[in-house]
Amino acid sequence: MIRRAVLVLLGLVWIGPTYLLLVNAARPAGSYDPGSAWVPSGDFALFENFGRALEGADLTQSLASTALYSAVSPLLGVLVGALAGYTIVVLRLKYGFWWFLLIFGGTIFPSQMLLVPLFVGYSDAGLYDSRLGMILIYTAINVPLAAFVLRNFYSGVAFSIFEAARMDGASTWRIFWRIYLPISASALTAVFILEFTFIWNDLIFGLTLTQTEEVRPVMTAIAGLMTDVYAGTPVPVGLAAGLVVSLPTVVLFLATQRLFARGLSLGSF
Amino acid sequence: MLGRFRHGYVAPAALLVAGLLYAPFLWTAYLSLTRYDGLEPPTWIGLRNFTKLFDDPALLTSTRNTLIWVVGTMVLPVGLGLLVAVLSYDLRGGAWYRLPFMLPYALSGAGLAMVWSPILSHGGIANLMLGVDTAFLQDAPANTVAMLLVWTWQQLGVNTLLFVVGLQSIPKDPIEAARLDGASGWRLFRHVIWPLMRPLTAVVVGLALVAGLKTFDIVWVLTQGGPGRNSETLAVTMYKETFVASEYGYGSAVAVMLTVVTGLASYLYLKRQVTAT
Repeated sequence: MIRRAVLVLLGLVWIGPTYLLLVNAARPAGSYDPGSAWVPSGDFALFENFGRALEGADLTQSLASTALYSAVSPLLGVLVGALAGYTIVVLRLKYGFWWFLLIFGGTIFPSQMLLVPLFVGYSDAGLYDSRLGMILIYTAINVPLAAFVLRNFYSGVAFSIFEAARMDGASTWRIFWRIYLPISASALTAVFILEFTFIWNDLIFGLTLTQTEEVRPVMTAIAGLMTDVYAGTPVPVGLAAGLVVSLPTVVLFLATQRLFARGLSLGSF
Repeated sequence: MLGRFRHGYVAPAALLVAGLLYAPFLWTAYLSLTRYDGLEPPTWIGLRNFTKLFDDPALLTSTRNTLIWVVGTMVLPVGLGLLVAVLSYDLRGGAWYRLPFMLPYALSGAGLAMVWSPILSHGGIANLMLGVDTAFLQDAPANTVAMLLVWTWQQLGVNTLLFVVGLQSIPKDPIEAARLDGASGWRLFRHVIWPLMRPLTAVVVGLALVAGLKTFDIVWVLTQGGPGRNSETLAVTMYKETFVASEYGYGSAVAVMLTVVTGLASYLYLKRQVTAT
């Protein structure tokens, strides 16, 4: 009984801010007042508020850019990583372990160690504030994890599959594309979702490498809106924006939860 | 035939990682030994950026704040997460009890700031509820502690989830045997459950250690390291020195220091864990 009481009490404390978020994001923009923030307004203005955020802070383009980055980069990253894993394990690349170490070693760098050269290098190469530049860095960041998980996954696949396909005259590329890639779909999806979430929520690379609304990812754009909460953006508009941009990762995660768990265990993560 | 393509297949991964991760890393290490403003070519100044680190009052503040973050994230979200998991893992309807803790995890960093700044602001919801008149994000180190509590609010759920998975997968026999012997509550936890959960806790605390050292997003969206520079963490200081003050060399030195500290802390932590078990 005490256990339930403690849980409920702590749960109430925890649910408070969530409640405030939902109630006030749905409140008509002009009617927010900290004194009555706990009382629902009776109106449902969530979509109007989000519309205002889209318009006011020009989030439409940021959302489109973020959607592009979070879909394309993990896709490329997973493919490139899987191909590397396949080459190292299945094609038995010479010094394969060292190649793997080189690629996986990319995970250890804190992003602060990358920012200055990326900023300067991107400026010189004309990649600063470009979608291509963002896709490139996000892809590179995804590669080590993808290579790690897929290398593990392919180590568990019977080598006789490869030999049989070779006997039938299939090229190494065809074997990768038609056999190894499909059988690792669950592991690929798990990595994809992790990377999608990472990119969707990324703040620092967007902050450092972009400038204009077309290229700037949505979290960075929202963080900019954030500093304006005191300078005019009505609280309900800000809350609605925060709520709606958090939704895609939740939906994706819930939709693929089962696959996600399976992919990870298969990849012996 | 086989051999010709092998390197071609591994090349995209190797090139991306080498070009966009290794090369910038090494370049930053070099820049930390130079004076550089991004316009003029870097000039070699040896270790002077690093000696400056030790005399810089702003860096002292951000080191203190980072320390609060590290200790705080290792204790609060992990400890409370373990508490909620232990209390709820074998209850009927346990998932429902855990739901309030899971919801905040869905919010991104920027969404988190959206929720909390109207609560913590001067004259905001928390002021009115508590009947006080304080700007929680104003004075150091209270503002760092306030942000740490916000962080705990968000992170508790994921730690709970990890611990619940752990608790559900530990062997049932010792717990049943201890129950039959009359152990319950704290004693059951302390002497039976805790020893079984120790390895998982070590991993979760280790992850919190690294995450705490690199704290950036939440500080950036809630205070941008201010007011003044009093809530900066090392990662925020690095960003500001570089991209606000255009001290690229000095900013790189802060990044190098952060990397060395993170590496050293992880190494010492891992070593301790290995020798302890």
